[in-house]
Amino acid sequence: MTTSTESSGAAIIRDARAGGPARGPARTTRRMRRPGAVARRTIAWILLAIGAVVAIVPFVWMVSGSFRTEADLYSAPASLFPGEWTLGGYLRIWSELPFLRVVANSFIFAGVTTLLCLLFDSLCAYALARLEFRGRRLAFWLVIATLMVPSQVTLIPVFVELFHFGWLNTYQGLIIPRATSAFGIFMLRQFFLSIPRELDEAARIDGAGHLRIYAQVILPLAKPALATLAVLHFMNLWNDLLWPLAMTSTTEMRTLPAALTLFGGQHVNDHAVLLAGATISLLPLALAFFLAQRYFVQGVAQTGLK
Amino acid sequence: MTQTTALPAGGAARPAGREAPRRSRTVRRGWQAWLFAGPSLAIILVFIAFPIVQSFWFSLHDWKIGATEQKWLGLANYERLFGDPLFWNAFRVTLVFAVVSVVLQLVLGYAAASALQREGLLTRMVRSVFFFPTIVALATIGLVWRFLLDPSIGLVAGITTSFGLPAIGWLQDPALALPTVIFVSVWKNVGFTMVILLAGLKGVPAHLYEAARLDGARGLQLTRYVTLPSIRPTLLFTTMILTINSFQVFDLVYVMTKGGPLFSTDTLVTMMFREGFENFDFGYASAIAWVLFAVIMVLSAIQLRVFRYDDVD
Amino acid sequence: MRKITTAAAAGIIAAVALSGCSATAPESDGPVELTMLAGFTGGDRAAYEGLVDTFNTTHDDIHVTLEIQPWDSIAQTLPAAWATGQGPDIAAPNFDPNVVANYLETNSLLALDNLGSGDGQIDADVLFPAAVDAFTVDGSLYAVPANVATLQLYYNKALFEAAGIAEPPATVEEFQQDAVKLTADGVYGLSLAERETIQMWPILQWLEGGDIVDATSCSVLDTPEGIESLTVWTDLVKQGIAPVGLTGAESDSLFSAGQAAMQLNGPWAAAGYKDAGIDLGVAPVPTGVDGDVTLGSTVPLAASAKTAHPAEAKEFLAWWTGKEAQKQFALASGFPPVRTDLADDPELSADPVVAAFAAALPSARLYLPGVPEATKVDSEGYVPLIGEITRGADVASAAAKASATINGLTGCK
Repeated sequence: MTTSTESSGAAIIRDARAGGPARGPARTTRRMRRPGAVARRTIAWILLAIGAVVAIVPFVWMVSGSFRTEADLYSAPASLFPGEWTLGGYLRIWSELPFLRVVANSFIFAGVTTLLCLLFDSLCAYALARLEFRGRRLAFWLVIATLMVPSQVTLIPVFVELFHFGWLNTYQGLIIPRATSAFGIFMLRQFFLSIPRELDEAARIDGAGHLRIYAQVILPLAKPALATLAVLHFMNLWNDLLWPLAMTSTTEMRTLPAALTLFGGQHVNDHAVLLAGATISLLPLALAFFLAQRYFVQGVAQTGLK
Repeated sequence: MTQTTALPAGGAARPAGREAPRRSRTVRRGWQAWLFAGPSLAIILVFIAFPIVQSFWFSLHDWKIGATEQKWLGLANYERLFGDPLFWNAFRVTLVFAVVSVVLQLVLGYAAASALQREGLLTRMVRSVFFFPTIVALATIGLVWRFLLDPSIGLVAGITTSFGLPAIGWLQDPALALPTVIFVSVWKNVGFTMVILLAGLKGVPAHLYEAARLDGARGLQLTRYVTLPSIRPTLLFTTMILTINSFQVFDLVYVMTKGGPLFSTDTLVTMMFREGFENFDFGYASAIAWVLFAVIMVLSAIQLRVFRYDDVD
Repeated sequence: MRKITTAAAAGIIAAVALSGCSATAPESDGPVELTMLAGFTGGDRAAYEGLVDTFNTTHDDIHVTLEIQPWDSIAQTLPAAWATGQGPDIAAPNFDPNVVANYLETNSLLALDNLGSGDGQIDADVLFPAAVDAFTVDGSLYAVPANVATLQLYYNKALFEAAGIAEPPATVEEFQQDAVKLTADGVYGLSLAERETIQMWPILQWLEGGDIVDATSCSVLDTPEGIESLTVWTDLVKQGIAPVGLTGAESDSLFSAGQAAMQLNGPWAAAGYKDAGIDLGVAPVPTGVDGDVTLGSTVPLAASAKTAHPAEAKEFLAWWTGKEAQKQFALASGFPPVRTDLADDPELSADPVVAAFAAALPSARLYLPGVPEATKVDSEGYVPLIGEITRGADVASAAAKASATINGLTGCK
């Protein structure tokens, strides 16, 4: 396969100079409209609408359920709208959980780990993409291979390791084992490979070593991919139930998903509080996604491209 | 024609006449590389790779967590595994799940990405709607869908009965449970796939389409000869990640059906969980994990071959 | 960033403190700190928390912190935690009493030798006998019952009235007839669960004189009585009196939504059904061909073999099963007390839920008591059997197949 040289990074630069990003096929369609095209577009939009409805209905049910009393929920379980409104679910979460504490723990765990991930993943990806060294291929396959084993099976060995380090129920025990991710390394490596080496060359001529190239050339161009990875990591860590539960043992260290399980279980008699918890838990992620959407589209564009 | 085959997705053609740039040979700075890769590799080795190797060691014993002595079994766990009908059932279920869900996600994700390529408020909103299911915590998704699919009180039942159909036990009928779980899994992940493919599509330069149109290509031909080849690397990356993840599916299945009814949704990791944490047979569970690992390895190697993708630069 | 550094600093300090603490038993002036872990989420939680609070207020020298996590998480984390000497001092490892055997295999449980009727002693003679049996291995008691529950017959008074039935069924024949009568119009007579539940089908079998295993853990499903007991009910299910393939939670939801007239369930469900607006009645399980019978279940509460405070842990377990504690717990939760000597207590008798479920204790039987590999017998033998016969499989051959599986697991010859 081609060892690519010119690639998306240079393309963007070139296009920017030419006055605008390259567009997809849509532009030309307008000029050559055929009757079939209109019909196809309509069908496409209908299908999209159906898809969107299927995607959103469970949400609507979930959010509306968080405002319904138990009696109301069971009187019309299929209904998407509350018959009898109540804030009880949200109030219970506030009153029965050390809410600020668990949210803070979630932010610390998800936030710090994401930042560390971005740092370590990008450093490692740089090495795999730009530096030639013996064992590079092995390192890459090692990274990929670790994606292939289910996490449940490593839970106990890791627990025992943390025990031996004395890291159980500590922030470092919670964060450090998760401070890098094979998925992130893989993704960033793909991205870095697509950044043209001329830019490296230019910097090297100016006397930059690898660290400076990494920091001043690669990373700025990688902002979109980094933002994408940041949101994905943050989302996974924020929703992670088992890892924080397994590695911590006191309520002070509890994260939000774990705290919300207090209301669940085999005998649920208050669905509103469960659904309220889920809705609240969702909000920071939804916000992060909205904010980062522009980065997504632009950024992930560069991944997996070699 | 050199243009289309020589380009990675998102790369524009180099105008004719300009040479390919000299490959810069990076001086072998071995030690610097280890500095860069060090932290990640160290964490991976200590907290992921080593435990994985340990789990292989567990699989060679009748491993009881916390026992002072573990009984050596050699490959007996693996022998038992290959003779266990529940294992083959789980293998079949996992295979079906993976193939169907990966194909569906690729097709639907591609369709959504392709239809929502243009920038605009409406397309952004619809994209967000499709991405929402990915954000919600799994336990909640299980609860919500169980309610919606309940044959007596669910929303879906309400809709089907209003069409005159009998109440359908989506998660209760062993023949329907797996398709239903696949549906919910695709529902949850298609937004994620869409976002990645969308980005790939955005990188295909317009002039490739124009050039192809000048050659007389239309509609599906454009897709076949321009779009798909251009996003092949993105497709590979996406397919590999989706495959790896779907072979390891657990959380969604666990919250929806725990592998039932009648083991019709019992995936390999669900079985592994049951053997390890409910039946306390941790050696056996580790053996399942390692067989799964081997299978995924083989599949990934095949995918790399099929997509003719060479990592070495 | 400041928050992060502060938090990191706090974490490091905590780590240092904790790593220092783990080695030595602190000679503290303050109360002995015990941690307790259990899976009582949802509606059950408040009663257990209340009990721990009462213990803490009445005991200056011991302080117990109760941690609640889902049962699945406990299942994944507790074995390794207890094996490494980490983890809580006291825990309810699983809602299934049969896990005691698994934890004993790795010597993770503290033998409770403070038996007797005095203060700080566990009066095993007055505790629910089936539970004590389940938790006694080789003559030593390894756990006390965290709770004991029986299943009773919940029924929807409004649906009964609408069908013209004045009283809940008293015998198994009436039970079956009522179920048929109440099934109409999208409403089921009986809400049954086949999996992920406290089992209901054993009760149905017992009512008709059948059983699952005998005292030697050999399957009796394929005996004539076993097959008969299954066939009677399967035929009714095929007639439509009950849904097929539901989990416990779905079965509960069905009853909550008023789409089923009867259900066999435990004391934990009462509050939820009332919240859901059901006009609820609780009646004893109808008398079967062999007399009164129902299913009992008990959750083990045990101490870690490696706890730093065995004496205090044992004292806590003894207090838990004491009269005051059990009375408070029963009144708060609706569960019967785990002691059999509180039957005459006026307050408990006055509480209708407690009284109803307590009255069933003498006739309550555990599910697969003392059966080796009980979890597998359930998941690979019994649950698939029920699943198959309710979906049309021939009862006799399915029972034979299940028997073979079960005997293979239990080692029965």
